[in-house]
Amino acid sequence: MITFQAEDEIAAIGSALGAAYGGRLGVTATSGPGVALKSETLGLAVSLELPLILLDIQRGGPSTGLPTKTEASDLMLAMHGRHGEAPLPIVSANTPADCFYMAIEAARIALTHRTPVILLSDGYLANSSEPWLLPDLASLAPIPVEFATGPNQTNEDGDGVFWPYLRDDLLARQWAVPGTPGLMHRIGGIEKEDGTGNISYDPENHRHMVDLRRARVQRVEVPDAEVAGVEDPDLLMVGWGSTWGAITGAVGRACRAGHRVGHVHLRHLNPLPANLGDLLGRSEKVLVPEMNLGQLSQILRAEYLVDARTVSKVTGQPFTAAELDGIIREALGA
Amino acid sequence: MPDTAEEVLPATTRADWQSDQEVRWCPGCGDYSILTALQLLMPDLDVLREDTVFISGIGCAARFPYYMNTYGIHGIHGRAPAIATGLAMSRPDLHIWVIGGDGDMLSIGGNHLIHALRRNIDLNILLFNNQIYGLTKGQFSPTSEVGKVTKSSPVGLIARPFNPVSVALGAEATFVARTHDLDRGHMQETFRRAHEHPGAAFVEVLQNCNVFNDGAFAAITKRDAREEMLIDLRHGEPILFGSDRQYGVIGLDGAVAIAEVAEVGLEAVLIHDETRSDPSRAFALSRLAETPTTPTPIGVFRAVEHEEYGTGIRAQVDDVQSHEGLGDLDELLHSLPTWEV
Repeated sequence: MITFQAEDEIAAIGSALGAAYGGRLGVTATSGPGVALKSETLGLAVSLELPLILLDIQRGGPSTGLPTKTEASDLMLAMHGRHGEAPLPIVSANTPADCFYMAIEAARIALTHRTPVILLSDGYLANSSEPWLLPDLASLAPIPVEFATGPNQTNEDGDGVFWPYLRDDLLARQWAVPGTPGLMHRIGGIEKEDGTGNISYDPENHRHMVDLRRARVQRVEVPDAEVAGVEDPDLLMVGWGSTWGAITGAVGRACRAGHRVGHVHLRHLNPLPANLGDLLGRSEKVLVPEMNLGQLSQILRAEYLVDARTVSKVTGQPFTAAELDGIIREALGA
Repeated sequence: MPDTAEEVLPATTRADWQSDQEVRWCPGCGDYSILTALQLLMPDLDVLREDTVFISGIGCAARFPYYMNTYGIHGIHGRAPAIATGLAMSRPDLHIWVIGGDGDMLSIGGNHLIHALRRNIDLNILLFNNQIYGLTKGQFSPTSEVGKVTKSSPVGLIARPFNPVSVALGAEATFVARTHDLDRGHMQETFRRAHEHPGAAFVEVLQNCNVFNDGAFAAITKRDAREEMLIDLRHGEPILFGSDRQYGVIGLDGAVAIAEVAEVGLEAVLIHDETRSDPSRAFALSRLAETPTTPTPIGVFRAVEHEEYGTGIRAQVDDVQSHEGLGDLDELLHSLPTWEV
């Protein structure tokens, strides 16, 4: 592993992407305005279809904002914060221990699907600690990586040639690294013809590529969401990120008091778990506690046409179980 | 049989280094001659195509990678040195060329350029300087001259330009050179030197944009002007120029100046030493011509050796591993206090 302190956020992600072109997994981390600075290169990574991980340890904004205080207000930025249609997979961690596993998950997605991935954490998680059952490393699933070794296409003269944008079942292109004879190719941020990778301004090809880049993200395998607490609840709490502890505590209290409350906590934010719509439909009331003004609830409303209500906290402080307990009881009229 | 079997690389020709893509610059653009010079040079450089990577940003010059039958990235505006830095650090086996224009490398990418040079990353950086924004059809660039009327400076440019060679020297570059698009031999010799230099090599190529800034360097680079207007720096030789080598560069009051050899004597003429560790003489030479209308030095201004960044990084890793052993994740996880519950 090589670590590198670059001159700025842009060079940090740029050099990570350069390393990815060379067959390495590039990882870059930031918070606050640094995420904005990395947007342009994330777009290039989406276009180049190379693996890359961006760790966004969210903090209060806008601008310098609250540099040492927590917030979870970069979800929409992670979803849409690049010019053009430039989707990428997003995962988030629930707890300090979960950061370990979600970092592996981000690497799995990036390497398997040859795509940049954003892992969202926040100031609260980053500064927290908890007892952690040390993992049995042998139990971690390996992440196989294969580089292209030979031509994948035949030209009209019958010679083997390499097309950088031919795809596998996951719609991922081959990772052909410099140093491999016969696979020389040029890639760039200009729209390219699917398959050959040559520059293309063809209208239908661009339509195809835009659809394809979305489909590539949708091919990411995401485990079904699970409901904690009551499976068939009157009130479903939906959260993501560091609110897991507070929501878990509050839902536990409510359930012990006899209320029918469930809890879904999302670790995959793009794509969302396939069963999420079904889970949301089971409950009359959906509350979404978030350390922002309601970014996940906006997504849930748009995706599933459900009346997801925002419980917003943007004070630079995390939710507490007690305050969410009160909010649950108020919502249930209890 | 020789004691050491030296690997003989398969012979290549220019055609082997040409991609199948149609070259799309304006007819008459100086970029063509730079491309030709490099494609003709590559077979002589003792490198394999698959080990060669061209990385660019945005602009006319940035199309360059598409035309080379090597690996390549056409990146984003100004970021080519940053992207190349990551590749060079992680893949020391590669030969990486960074191509960009004066806008790409000195405006938006200025920060990445100076830091790539400062760190001495193993890159060959070619800056095609045409003193104009060509791809966007004729706005001033950071190397455009004061007073220049362009689409974005309709009554004349106010700000003073960068001198790319001065910038590179100020950024601690270990190899700094200048050449021009009308002299293939000089370009090739300069590019070869850049390729051979361990660490970051910076070459300013004076390049004519015949559509938006035609003739910007004609006063010094056209064939019949060169003898009097180009000062070809040669290591270890007195800095002389002119049809009869009647002019020389002398030290004057901490700077350098042009004098007639007949007046000052040959012994007063400076001997060019590209290996001087103090860059101030090279810097003074880079300031000799304020605009490309007076005698202008070309060639290698500076070629000194310092540790290449990636080499330094790998040496650190090797050193730590030699006494700490290879990293072990399981050991690391158990290295802090643990409890059994």
